Amino acid sequence: MYFCDIVKPRERNYLKQVKTWHQSRDINDKACHASNYSEMMSEREAAKYPFIQAGVKLVEGLNLQLDDLTDPNYRKVLDRAAERVTEAIIQGEVSAKLAEPLTELLSYPIAVMYVTLIGEQFLSRRFALAEAVRSYNLLQQEYEDKIMQIAEDEFSWNIVKDPEYIDGTQHNLKLRFSDYLRSASGFHEPKWKLVNRKMEDGFVSLTGIEAARLIQVEVDNWVKERVSTPSKFSLPQEIQSRVDAVRKVFEENRSKLGGSRLPEEIINEAFPPCMIYCLEGLLSGRRASHMERFGLTSFLVNIGMPIDQMVSFYTDVTDFDESLTRYQIEHIAGLKGNRTRYTPPTCATLRTHGICRNMDSICKTVSHPLSYYRKKAWRIQRREKEKAKETQAETSNTTKQE
Amino acid sequence: MEEEWGSPKFVAEQFQRWYAQHSHTIPAPIELPQREFAFLNFFGRGMHRHIKLPTLQELQRYLRQNAPAHSYHSSGYYDDPTADMTRKGWLGADLVFDIDADHFELPCQKVHDKWWCRNCDEQGTGHLPEICKCGKAQFTTETWICEKCLQAAKHETHKLLDILIQDFGVHPDELITNFSGNRGYHVHVHNNDFKTLNQHARREIVDYIMAIGLEPEFQGFSQRNRGTRSTLAMGGWRGRTGRALYDYISEAKPEEIKKLKLGRKASSNIINNKEQVLETLMERHPSNITPLIDPKSLKTVLNEALGLQASEIDTVVTTDIHRLIRLPNTLHGKTGWQVQTIPYGALPDYDPLVKSVVMSGSPVKLEFKRAPKIQLKGEGYGPYNEEEVTLPMEAALFYLCKKGARVKNE
Ligand code: SF4
Ligand SMILES: [Zn+2]
Ligand SMILES: [Zn+2]
Repeated sequence: MYFCDIVKPRERNYLKQVKTWHQSRDINDKACHASNYSEMMSEREAAKYPFIQAGVKLVEGLNLQLDDLTDPNYRKVLDRAAERVTEAIIQGEVSAKLAEPLTELLSYPIAVMYVTLIGEQFLSRRFALAEAVRSYNLLQQEYEDKIMQIAEDEFSWNIVKDPEYIDGTQHNLKLRFSDYLRSASGFHEPKWKLVNRKMEDGFVSLTGIEAARLIQVEVDNWVKERVSTPSKFSLPQEIQSRVDAVRKVFEENRSKLGGSRLPEEIINEAFPPCMIYCLEGLLSGRRASHMERFGLTSFLVNIGMPIDQMVSFYTDVTDFDESLTRYQIEHIAGLKGNRTRYTPPTCATLRTHGICRNMDSICKTVSHPLSYYRKKAWRIQRREKEKAKETQAETSNTTKQE
Repeated sequence: MEEEWGSPKFVAEQFQRWYAQHSHTIPAPIELPQREFAFLNFFGRGMHRHIKLPTLQELQRYLRQNAPAHSYHSSGYYDDPTADMTRKGWLGADLVFDIDADHFELPCQKVHDKWWCRNCDEQGTGHLPEICKCGKAQFTTETWICEKCLQAAKHETHKLLDILIQDFGVHPDELITNFSGNRGYHVHVHNNDFKTLNQHARREIVDYIMAIGLEPEFQGFSQRNRGTRSTLAMGGWRGRTGRALYDYISEAKPEEIKKLKLGRKASSNIINNKEQVLETLMERHPSNITPLIDPKSLKTVLNEALGLQASEIDTVVTTDIHRLIRLPNTLHGKTGWQVQTIPYGALPDYDPLVKSVVMSGSPVKLEFKRAPKIQLKGEGYGPYNEEEVTLPMEAALFYLCKKGARVKNE
């Protein structure tokens, strides 16, 4: 991981070399770059797409050390890096500032460093996505050949050019289904479902824009991998101050971005239809499939039903063995075994296994039973508040009249 | 002491005899050293699993020495197949499919399957109801097999193989088709592009094969779409959707269509203008169907029709990347039949009730509880009801494994 190479304080053998390299290229002095056309091209490419190998090598080659970054020459880079993270927090999308390719290029690894120093999972995910969206925006402006080349070289896709018209729209590319699924199986819109694509002989037909959208997922994963481990080390003042500033922006926006939380108390009326189906099955003693039991249990665990209550509920309505039931529930809750708390299956999974039943209007707007619950709970609570207000208003009215 | 129903001791001896002679004919699954094995014996002491049999000799010796009632191997490949689940080190997994007539609704099940409510005295034949009259759903069942169920399972297997080969581009050499030894077929795909797919990707494959989430508008059936040619001859679901619709409409009786409660115009077009609808499908782009059948009705019709092209696979087996599946060419302890690998191309003529009945021996006198009839190796047996019959070994073993009888000791 080249990011470590930058931040790991090492011997400073190369410092001199780096300094000369940098001084010889004032970032704004374009004439200087033109001297080496291909290098300039790859600099520009790397500035656009931080994940391309050539760019990664270029930065690695600089072998920058932490202390080097305090050099005033780098101020712009440090600022742009802070800006990248800030944009990710506020807009959910990093802009592309390609006028100064070197600044843009170097600011990426520094931004990664800021994110790992702040060490918040939520920020890491948001940053990865925002960087991926940046790449997607840039890719959309490229020729299909370029998109193909990036897909092949950087992500080893099996992709070919083979134009055809499908229902009047030109689809120029064909992608091996396994590469397609790696990215698209996380999408929710029907048009991305494999069954709704034209596939023959193991290849899925795509437009260039669609290919770019799938690359976005690869970039998202690539960045995520690099920002997922928090790091900690002491920083020179110039850098620390910027990390602090970014952290402040993050803290200010955190609650806004976090989405609404699950309600504190369990609201039965907010259960999605699939979970009601599982519950009813359980109550009638129908032999529930593993998926039904897992789905319901993980759902109940996640909305905060206490384990004791679940155990007695399950053993009351079924002939389940108490200790076995407890073990299974504790396993799903992450108290046993590999200690991960399981989240319930997505709507897509429940649908595959025939558990998504009696969909209603809220269902059409969600892709996860927990989002359904959150949404409906919120509606119910709002309705109750309104009612409470009304009755309050009424009572105050009556008091006035008296 | 009274003999137990199913006479497990007797059956176990027959299995031993068979494995002693035939274990050397059982081939190893590919990438043997990375597989986990698991076995069940006849005396119900739980599953022996996390077993590693890294060479063909060890595998065959194990089978010979233990003559298991049920033998399984993992669809997954592991660094250490003997470790517990979290430490195994998953390297990949074959894509596996299970087609089991038990999941289908078939008329023949009314004849050979029975259920009893354990809560009240309700009983019935065929598929279980979701819930009993008494509001509970605790049933005891007795399920049997006949050539009709097996035929239905074979048909689903054909559709599956067709989709895998045509749409996914799987080479026939990368496919292994097995008779499951009971009510269906298993298909294993060995191909590097499938091997490392995660559960989400496998779920998408299941949805593809079962046509779950298929939207007509993405198959050309929308007025917004443009195109000139019919999709009927096309590959993938574009072609399949058109063909399913064509076949369904051409076969459907007016009463069936009426039951679907379609829009008035759609219903009348399908019943009275059948020829025009079929011709449009055959000759023109599917966007020309929407004026004849409105989108909502089309969805309803497709709900019925897509099953003609989709394959009814078990959704859990295929999405599970740690699945244990039957070891091909071993014996199935619930029938006494062989889990048999069927060479590609031989499926259409394959008759499990002849081919997989591999055990023979001297006739056995049985005492029957209750058992329906079956055809084995061309010979008809049963039905039997509380009677004593002497049967050839192959038939005796089947009824014993199904626990419908026990050996009568003189
Ligand atoms: S759409 Fe999702 S939440 Fe609604 S019933 Fe189906 S699985 Fe449950
Ligand atoms: Zn009952
Ligand atoms: Zn049958």
